[in-house]
Formats: sequence, structure tokens, C-alpha cells
Amino acid sequence: MLDKTLRALAAFSIERPRLVIGLTLSATLAFASLLPRMTVDTDPKHMLPETSAVRRHNDQVEKDFALHADVLVVGVVQEEGVFDSETLSSIARLTSEIQRIPGVVSRDVTSLATVDDVTAEEGGLAVRPLLRRIPDSEDELAALRRAALGNPLLAGRVVSRDGTAAAIAVPIEPQANGKQIADEIRRLLPKESAGVRYLLAGDPLARDTFGAEMFRQMALFSPLAGLVMCLALWLMFRSLPLVAANMGVALVGIAWSMGLLVGLGFPVHIMSSMSPVFLMAIATDSVHIFNELAFRVRDVGWSRDVRGAILETIAAVGKPVFYSDVTTAAGFAALATAHIVPVRIFGLVVAFGTLVILLMSFTLVPAILALLPEQRLARIVRRARETSEREPSLLARLGDLCQRRAGVLAAAAALLLALAAVGLFRIRVNNNMVHWFRPESAVRAADRELNERLGGTATGYLVVEGRDADAMKDPALLRAVEGLQRELERDPLVGKTTSLVDVVKRVNRALHKDDPAFDRVPDSADEVAQGLFLLATSARPSDLDNLVDYPFQQTNVTLQLKSWDAGAMRGVIRRAEEHLARHPLPGGATLAPAGVAHFNMVWSDEVLWGMLESFLAGLVLVLALLVAQTRSLRWGIVAFLPLLFTIVVIYGVVGLIGKDFDMPVAVLSTLSLGMAVDFAIHFVARFQQRHREGGELRDALVYTVARPGKGIFLNALLFASGFAVMVFADLTPYVTVGVLMAAVMLLSALASVVFLPGLISFFRGVLLQGGAK
Amino acid sequence: MNRTRLPAGVLALVLATGAAAQAPRDEKRPANALEVLERSQAAFYYAGADMKARVTMELVAGAGKKRTRVLTMLRKNDSAGKRQKYFLFFHEPGDVRRTAFLVFKHPEKDDDRWVFVPAMSMVRRVAASDSRSSFVGSDFTYEDVSGRDLSADTHALLREEKLDGTDCFVVQSVPNAGAEYTKKLAWIDGRTFLPLREEYYDARGALARVFTADKVEPVLGSDGKTWPTVSVRTMKQVQSGHATVVRFEGVAYGVGLDDTLFTERALQDPPQRWTR
Repeated sequence: MLDKTLRALAAFSIERPRLVIGLTLSATLAFASLLPRMTVDTDPKHMLPETSAVRRHNDQVEKDFALHADVLVVGVVQEEGVFDSETLSSIARLTSEIQRIPGVVSRDVTSLATVDDVTAEEGGLAVRPLLRRIPDSEDELAALRRAALGNPLLAGRVVSRDGTAAAIAVPIEPQANGKQIADEIRRLLPKESAGVRYLLAGDPLARDTFGAEMFRQMALFSPLAGLVMCLALWLMFRSLPLVAANMGVALVGIAWSMGLLVGLGFPVHIMSSMSPVFLMAIATDSVHIFNELAFRVRDVGWSRDVRGAILETIAAVGKPVFYSDVTTAAGFAALATAHIVPVRIFGLVVAFGTLVILLMSFTLVPAILALLPEQRLARIVRRARETSEREPSLLARLGDLCQRRAGVLAAAAALLLALAAVGLFRIRVNNNMVHWFRPESAVRAADRELNERLGGTATGYLVVEGRDADAMKDPALLRAVEGLQRELERDPLVGKTTSLVDVVKRVNRALHKDDPAFDRVPDSADEVAQGLFLLATSARPSDLDNLVDYPFQQTNVTLQLKSWDAGAMRGVIRRAEEHLARHPLPGGATLAPAGVAHFNMVWSDEVLWGMLESFLAGLVLVLALLVAQTRSLRWGIVAFLPLLFTIVVIYGVVGLIGKDFDMPVAVLSTLSLGMAVDFAIHFVARFQQRHREGGELRDALVYTVARPGKGIFLNALLFASGFAVMVFADLTPYVTVGVLMAAVMLLSALASVVFLPGLISFFRGVLLQGGAK
Repeated sequence: MNRTRLPAGVLALVLATGAAAQAPRDEKRPANALEVLERSQAAFYYAGADMKARVTMELVAGAGKKRTRVLTMLRKNDSAGKRQKYFLFFHEPGDVRRTAFLVFKHPEKDDDRWVFVPAMSMVRRVAASDSRSSFVGSDFTYEDVSGRDLSADTHALLREEKLDGTDCFVVQSVPNAGAEYTKKLAWIDGRTFLPLREEYYDARGALARVFTADKVEPVLGSDGKTWPTVSVRTMKQVQSGHATVVRFEGVAYGVGLDDTLFTERALQDPPQRWTR
């Protein structure tokens, strides 16, 4: 049934090649015309649907405390100390210029030039701007330094504790582009002089720089990967029309699927930006058609009816090509079960593109082949004959060896699997957006230095909520929060914590003539309330709003973390929970985490579990398809084994070399299933065919290793060469994907060709009686 | 702060026109922007010889979250000059009840402020911070409550236009030195000289704060004069959505406040007749 349909499709395309090509071309142009409407989205928040509990809670916390989700940090570093007139005026000037940039939330820009200092003055409380004017005398500068570094609300936040770096926190509007604003800020920066250096960091910068880079990198690497594959194809077949046919299929697949994505109104995310490379690689499946055609024309002589040869080729390789593409599509479609929205979209886009490629293999490819002038085909055949003299015999010897030395191979495989198992247990799940840039990149260098000098660039929140309004005026609860803060600060990744308690203590001390003995939470709720009221009568409202909600029911413990690792926040939460188990919060108060750091942790976990589910779903799906294709459970399992081996070894290596199991790696694990199984499908299908045609087991195996085996190796090489180009990308997820995909494809090709002969001959009793007739 | 004292002549004129605020419009047209603003300050900040009011402030954050403050405001003008004394006694929120502020406003230098903190039963000086600081945590600044020095800005009378049916002068003020705003537009009632609307623009030229006089009522003073009074006013932060709504109730002019009320001693233990 399937065979007939495929053959009919190919026959029609050979009869009416110009019609088929014309139709394909117009459909492709229609899809391609949608591409200019493309938009990008790199906000990790959009990884989870808007309705997810963690997103809602996060939005609520931001609303309750008038916080901004997106904050850029400008670091001003002066090794001699920032407290000199020149550096201070530069900070003041820069601050006011940044406040004028459209998209910046001017009123909440925070730096030495905007913050208030709460002190005791003339025996009373004074709240005034820290930097009312730029001091010029040494004494005044020293006094300013003492004031800033002595105020725990400022030291580690707007100025480093050693005074060598100052920070300007620049909150931006939700719809503003972090990279564009960062670029504007860069234009404002004075020439680095007299040892003053300027650094830019922050989540929106990383995210939006990544978005801009993503486009640039894919615009560079998609064509480059294509070019490399073209070159490899040409070296294999020395035929431009064949290269063109292959690339044509790839381009059609890319145009249709990306056009559909854009047309449906979805933005392009980090994952879907890689679709073109994946589709180009998947399109190399048609190599099996060319490979078989070359062998066939050589066998029967090219002077015979070319169209007949094409049809016979389709008859021979049609089914494995069909099944390998369907398993690939299924592997990608399995991603649709993920919770991560962009991953789901990516899976469906590539699955669709793969099906388009499948359709093209039976329409566009035969049509192009049918239009080939006969001399061209003759040249292909000559080339094939030259190489086939050497290679198949080499491959034939390999096929022979694989059967005789099956025991040695099995032992080697077992050893590799044992090693890999060790690696699997050492896999560390983590996500760190800053690490998506290369270590030497400006984004990562700035982040590293600011983390060394200041409290930390990653922000997390722990919201303490009392049972009733005014709970945050209860001295007992405030002291408990203070105890929690001290405990959290023992974590080396926690640079600084800030909460309402710090303000309460500061005000109490100022009201008691700056006596250090009163640097503590006062004893009565009325004292707390009146101290805060007094502060509110002279400070800016926003000074308190970030730390306590309107009804004084919640306080926001702000954490500055020194690492964007998802694990850093997990450590903080665990530490907080352990502390609260020993010292529960009074009055039934509760604790809830939020903030960017927490969000990253949650979606990182979602990625792991979501991808694990998709992975298992993918495994089952692929096995089911193998069983369907071979019409035998046993054959299905045998064809499945090389894939399993490949996956275990690759992820074992990931664990052994200590590479983080992050989003790109997690997603790859699922989609590599559908692609890596292709080789086993081709191998088993062609072996069964040969064996059915009456070959002896041993000869049939040698034939399979030599002839379709060559197609398998060519396919894997093409695939790997396309992906290997991405090693040179500036963004590490592309590097990871490039290396891993190349490794998976090569190992899986090798595993299929090397292990399957041994497996088949070892289990021939079970396999060949029932399953294969 | 480099403020200049106004010449006595101008001041006399200001007070005179303030007192005659109810007079028909054609009596004396202001000659320029400065004159409009001087008459406006006289009408808005200096009405009567003294004033008593119960003030309710509602601080509204987005999503209907509110903080309420209730206080008694007592104000006394100095017999000469633009000096004023304020006494603010808080009734609510409950945990700050009896907290009281004393403010001496000097046009020529920083204000003097004292606070009584009942939980610590002590009076402390509160150093006056600059003009941008908030008045008791509201969206009004101290300047909004007691008036900004007119010589700190350069003024221009832009046009006369109707605002909700009332003839208004539209005056633009641009600060001479750095301030919280870069430009202010004020719509000043041509008859009462009360500000009906003010728009404050930030460094980017974007609208940042808007003041509106939501309700104006005539109040008969003990001297027999009628003082038009803004009894409900709102200050809204356009960009954050924060707003403060202030209601003046039981407003009385010429109630006979004497200087003994404006002392540290009275701050700790104010006479009940004034704070009830």
C-alpha cells in the first residue's frame, strides 16, 4: 500500500517534472513571502505560559513592591576608589543622562547620585541625598566615603564595600529593548581615562544581546552549514545537479516551515532559530536515493531507460526513506509534549519541515532527476564506479569483520556503556543565560567583574508574608527575618541581602543620635511604626516601597546572587527552609521565593522534567515506528539498540566532562532520537530486502554494510559536517548543538553499521524464523 | 538655597490682591506671569491670617491598595513677610497617633522642622531635605504643600484659555537650577487665582505628575471675608500610577492661633481644643 503510493507519486513526478517543479516553486515563494514579518523573542520568562503559577506570582510580587523585572547595571570601576571629584561627577552626569534615555524608568534609576542617606544630624533624623553636590576637599570626600560605606543600605549595592566600584541600576520599561538601551548608554560613556572603567551587565542586556546575536549567527551559520554540505555532496557525487536537488529540498523545507511559523504569528526563539540547520541536515536523507541510483545505474548500465532506474531506486529505498523521515518527524513532534512553549513550537516546526522534505524526496527529487540530461547521469555513474571499486570492498571487509569479531565488539560496547553510566550519574542540571556567551565575551566579562566587586548581579526575592496587615511592624518577626538574612549571607553565592529590617535598624540608630548600640530592631511595634513613618515623611516613597507592601503585611528580602546558575537560587531556598525548620517565623508568617533568579530555577527544572517526559515519549514513539516498519517486535528492538547505545554514550560523556545539562542539551536529547535512528532503519530495511530476495545471511549482511552502508556513512558525514560549522559560533548553545549533533550522528552511523551485523547474526535464530521471511 | 526676599511693596500688593481675590475680573489685570503666580500663591497658601483644617490623605498605589493618613493642620502667617508656621498633628494610622510636626517656613532659607515621636517620647529635629522629598509619604512634596520660591524658576505667561469652562492663565515655569522637574505648566483661575491644574514634566520632556484641584469651595473667615478654598485635590504620578487624594474638612480661617502653639512644648502636649 505504502510502496504503491510512494511509487505512484514518484512516477507522476517523472511523467510531469516541469509541473511538479513549478508547483513546488510557487508554494515555496508563497511561504517565503511571509518571512520578512519575522520577530524574535529571547525573554526566558516566555519559556513558561503566561498562566503558569510562577509567572503570575512573580508579576504579583513585582506589583506589590513596585519592582522592575528588567534592570541593567552600569559598573564604574576605579582601582584607586570611586570617591574622587572626577569619578563622582562622571557618575552624576552619566546618571542624569541615562535618565533621559527613552525606555528607561527615570524615577527609579539608582546610583550614588540619586540615593538618599539616612543619618543622625543635629541630634535628629536626616534623610537627604547622599551626593548633594560634588565635594572638592579631601575631608569632604573622605566623609562621603565613610557615609556611603558605613550605610549597609548602600554598601555592596550602589558602591562596592571596598569603594573601588560604583553601580548605576537602570530599570527599563517592560517593552524596551535591553540591548538598544545598553548601546545608547555605551555612547554616553566617557573615554576610559585615569583608570576609570565602565562595565555593562544585567539580565535584559544578556537576553537582548543574545537575541540580536542569534539573528546574526544564524544568518551566518545557516548558509555556511549549507555551503559545507554542498561541498561535501559535490565531493561525493561530483554532480552539481545532485547538489542542487539536495539543497533545493532543504530550502523548500526551510521556507515552508519557517514561513508557516512566521505566518501563524509566532516569534522566533533560540531553538527555532536553529531550524534551518536541522532541516538542511535532515534533507541529506535524500543521499540514500542518489547513492542507490548510482549503484543501480552502474549495475544495469546507464544506456537503459533512466526513468525506469529512478523508479526502481525509489522502490528500493522508498520505504526506509519514508520511515526514517517519519521517525525524525515523530522525534521532533515529541517535543510538543514539553511545557516549555518555544521548545514545543520548535518541535512542531521541524516536524512539519521534515514531512515537507519527505514529500519532496518523492516529488521534487525524481522530477529533477528525470530532467537530468543523460550525459550528466553518465558522469555520476562513472564517478560512482571509480569509487565503488575501492570503498565497497573496504566496507565489505568491515561487514565481514563485524560478524566475525562480534564478541570483541560486544565487550567494547559493554565497557563503553559502563563508563557512560558513571557519567550519567554525574550529570549536573543547570541553566545560566550568561554562560550562553563565550567566556571572553564582553557580556560575560562585565558580569564576572561586577560579581567580584559588588553584591551580585542576579536578583532573587524571598517574600515574607505575615498573617495580617501591619505584621511587618512586629519586632519579633523583624528579628526573625534578620536572623534569616544573616543565615543566607553565609552562602558564598549570596553577595548581599536587603530587607525592611535594614531600614528599621538604620532609622532606629539615627533617632538615637547615631549610637551603634541602637543599630537594632526596636522593642515595640509603635517604635517601629513611628520610625518608619518618620522616614516616610522625608524620604522618597519608592525607598520603602521596594521593601514593604502597602498594608505592611509583607517584606521583600532582596538577594543579590553572584551567579546566574539556577542552582544558586535552589541552594538559597534550601538554606532558608532548613533555617526556618529550626527557627520558625513567629505569628504564622510564611516565605515565598520570586525574582529572576527564582524564575530561572523554575524553568530550568521544567526543562529537565519536561524534556525527560518528551524523551521517554520519543523513545516509545520511535520504538513503535520501528516495530511498525519491520512488522516485528524483535526486529524493532534490534534496530532500536544502536540508538540507545548512542544516546547513553553521548550523555555519559556530557556527564564525564562536566558540561551542564542545560536547555540546549536537554532539547537535543529528545530530537536526536528521531534522527539518530535513521541509520538503523535504512540498514534493517535494506538487509531484510536483500535477505528476502534469497541471499545467504552472511552475504546479505556484507552487501548491506557495503552498499546501503555507504549511503549511511555519506549521510552521517554530510550531517556532521553541516553541524560541525557551528563550533565557531559566538553563542555557546549553538556550539553545544553543533558538537553534540555531529557526535550523535557519527556515533549512531558507526553503531548501526558495526553492531547490527553482529546483533543480527547472533540473534538470527529469533529474528529470521518469524520476523523476516 | 539662594532665595531673595521680596520687596515689601510687592508683598503688600500680593496680600492686597489676595484679599480681593473675589473681586470682579476687570478690576486689575495682572501684568505678567510673575504677577499671576504671586497672586496665585497668596490665594492658595496664604489665605486668612491663620487656618485650621482636618486633612485626610489617601495614598493610592495601583490595584486599589491604600494607605490613609488623617491629621489636623494648623497654619499661622507671620504678620510681616512670607514666613509661616505649621503644626501637623496625626490621628491616623493608629500606631502613629500623637506624632506631630512643627514646621517654620522661611522664604529665605531652609525650613526648620521638629517632630515628636510618642513611642520614644522625644522631640527631634528633622533636617530639611531638598524640595523633592515627599510630604508624609504622599505624592505631594513639601514644596507642593507650602509653596515654591518663585525666584527659583523663570516664568512665562503662555496664553489664556478655558479649562472646564473657567477662564485660566496658562503659565510655564522652568527651574533655573536642577529640580525634580524640567518644566511646569499651571492653569490658574483668572478670578480666584487658585491653581486648577498643574503638569510637571521630567528630564525627557514626558509628563510625570499632574495636580488637579477637584473641588473648590468658598469658606467664610472670621474676618467676614470669603476665601475660595481647594477642598479636594489630587496629585497623580502619571508613570507609576501612584496618586494621593487630599480632602480638607472643617476649614476655618482666622481662628486665633497664637504663637505658644508653635513650640516644642506644645508639640509634646498640644492643647486639646486644636487637635480634636
